[in-house]
Amino acid sequence: MPETPVLEVPSDSGPAPARPGRIRPAWLRVALLPLGVVLLYVALAVMASLTVWAQAPVVVVGLAACYLGLDALLFAIKGRKVNTGFWLAVVWVVGVVVLALIADWLPLSESRDTAATLLETPRLRPDLFSAHPLGTDNQALDILGGVIYGARISLQVSFLAVVIGMVGGGLLGVCAGFFRGRLDAVVGVFADSMLAFPPLILLLAVVAAVDASALNISLALALLSIPTYTRLARANTLTLAQREFVLSARAMGAKDWRIIAFELVPNVVRPLLSYSFIIIAVLIVAEASLSFLGVGIQRPTPTWGNMIAAGQDNLQKTPHLVFVPGAVMFVTVFALNKIGDRARAKLDPRASAI
Amino acid sequence: MLRLFGRRLIRLVPVLFLVTLGTFFLTALVPGDPAVSILGPEATPEAVANLRVELGLDQPLVQRYWDWLSSAFQGDLGNSLLQPTDSVVELIRASLPVTLQLAAMGLLMALFVAIPLAIWSAYRADTHVDRASTLLTAALISVPTFLAALLLAYFFVFQPDVVRWAAVVLGVSIAGAMVAGGVRRWGDDTNRAVVIRLGGAAAVLAVTALVFVWFPEFPRTGFSRLTSEDGLGENLRSAFLPAFALALTEIAVFTRLLRGDMISTLQEDYVLAARAKGMPVWRVLWSDALRPSSFSLVTLAGVSLGRLIGGTVIVETIFALPGMGRLVVNQGVVLGDFTIVQGGVLVIAVFYVVINLLVDISYLYLDPRIRRA
Repeated sequence: MPETPVLEVPSDSGPAPARPGRIRPAWLRVALLPLGVVLLYVALAVMASLTVWAQAPVVVVGLAACYLGLDALLFAIKGRKVNTGFWLAVVWVVGVVVLALIADWLPLSESRDTAATLLETPRLRPDLFSAHPLGTDNQALDILGGVIYGARISLQVSFLAVVIGMVGGGLLGVCAGFFRGRLDAVVGVFADSMLAFPPLILLLAVVAAVDASALNISLALALLSIPTYTRLARANTLTLAQREFVLSARAMGAKDWRIIAFELVPNVVRPLLSYSFIIIAVLIVAEASLSFLGVGIQRPTPTWGNMIAAGQDNLQKTPHLVFVPGAVMFVTVFALNKIGDRARAKLDPRASAI
Repeated sequence: MLRLFGRRLIRLVPVLFLVTLGTFFLTALVPGDPAVSILGPEATPEAVANLRVELGLDQPLVQRYWDWLSSAFQGDLGNSLLQPTDSVVELIRASLPVTLQLAAMGLLMALFVAIPLAIWSAYRADTHVDRASTLLTAALISVPTFLAALLLAYFFVFQPDVVRWAAVVLGVSIAGAMVAGGVRRWGDDTNRAVVIRLGGAAAVLAVTALVFVWFPEFPRTGFSRLTSEDGLGENLRSAFLPAFALALTEIAVFTRLLRGDMISTLQEDYVLAARAKGMPVWRVLWSDALRPSSFSLVTLAGVSLGRLIGGTVIVETIFALPGMGRLVVNQGVVLGDFTIVQGGVLVIAVFYVVINLLVDISYLYLDPRIRRA
């Protein structure tokens, strides 16, 4: 994904200069936080019987108030400007990961076994203070549980794919950049022709060839991420291989594998890692797209993509079947992108690569 | 110049060869026998063996690849395996225009929104407008296409009143902000600038009113071909939502890129010189700064067009459009008809590669430094 140089605001540590239209007394701004919480409570609990169109504006205002209040609170505590959005993103991603890990011990309603929900009501509307906080789907499976178990699959698949892509593509790229010559040419042609296929079409063609288990989909996604990592690692190696520490290692008689393993790889890993958040976000979307098209992991095993696909037939009457998992996926991808941008600015000196 | 062009063309050959190789082997290595999947599990071994001979599956793999490649060169991609058996070329000929139209419309819509937005955010870098547009692009990038398509379908088809009133709220607040800005700067700005602001506000209100009054009724599914008797209007109406869904991500990517390039161009001395000579701002932005800032945008737009041609499969599924994506997925991948997959993927990949070549060539026109090098 192309990254643009953005003019950074100089982060001044003193009190912010007075801007017109800004709420002046600091405690008043901090008070926005409880106000936002109250608004959210009113919207979701008190107004639960009203239509979504009445609730939605209150929720939006409540969330905005919470954000501004939190921003002011952190400013007051730390005494300097805090990147609130970034930390919220971290909290969200960590929360999703933790929930996905401990899903089996959470008091969730049944979300995977259709035989156990025959007597439940299908297509319940979300009601935060009930046994089904986010409602139920067409087969009366709990949507909250589905979203959490879906997170487990999304994260597992894309994490595995990124690890494979980073190890495989990274090694390939480091070797190509270090040895140059014929190996470099072969790897380059390989990466170019992999990138000549539109990604989704390539995925579809691979999935047509194998059956859609979580492992196979991880491998297919890894196939997508390998050429990206190869190029990235190769570009970084090219500059590193010219550096003095490589020369000095060679002068001390280090063999090729030793230079690669102890001099190059530790330096290439940082930029590769910094890209991983963004690539995980891309792969989560890719996995969801496959599930959505019906060629990924099948119902009733919940994934974000197949939950959305299952809900789209009743889009008009029960939009929450689509938009609840959709919103969770959106926020997760948004948070990962946000973390990735920051990580890339910090870890990768040549942030405009790719 | 011609030599440069020729060199690019020659470089195309190995990539295209690899693309055909990849396409063929990817689908030929499918585990399981296509003959069995056509005839079903209860077929007699003799029938399967006969069909295998008929399909040429008993030949060695290299021979099969050669036969496939040479007939593909003659414009024959074989017949689809399942009933009704049609020529794959005919199927593609029916589907490709739909996909191309969607991709082109999506790209144009994205450029139409992204270029002014990026120019304005770059010019007003670090103001409220710029921050709002940065937040908007960050959000749009994180919306998967299928979610965007379903959101658009839900609001534009099922809740048109919500969209109309949202348009009114948005239009009135933009116009209000423009008027407020004009009033605040009254006196310390030239009066002409204030008049332009008021005129702009009036234009925004007019567009809003138009949208509110003549909000078209979009179909949830289906596609009206340009050649059908309903004509262009119906065609555009059925293609609008899918193309818009495709455009959303591209808007975000284009805006980010162009904004960044534009900000660095605007720091050049010649921009300052042009302003010092008294050139109006819009003139400097539009004719002096845009062209040198647009190289990466052109590359990206080309890459996007290729990606859109491969990416329409999702909107085609959601809006039930008879395009390439649906052909490849619904008739090819899901039903296991590998000749359709081969043909479809080949055509899409060739388009992708050729478009990238055209992008390279367009540099020659845009950037005189490359032309004379």
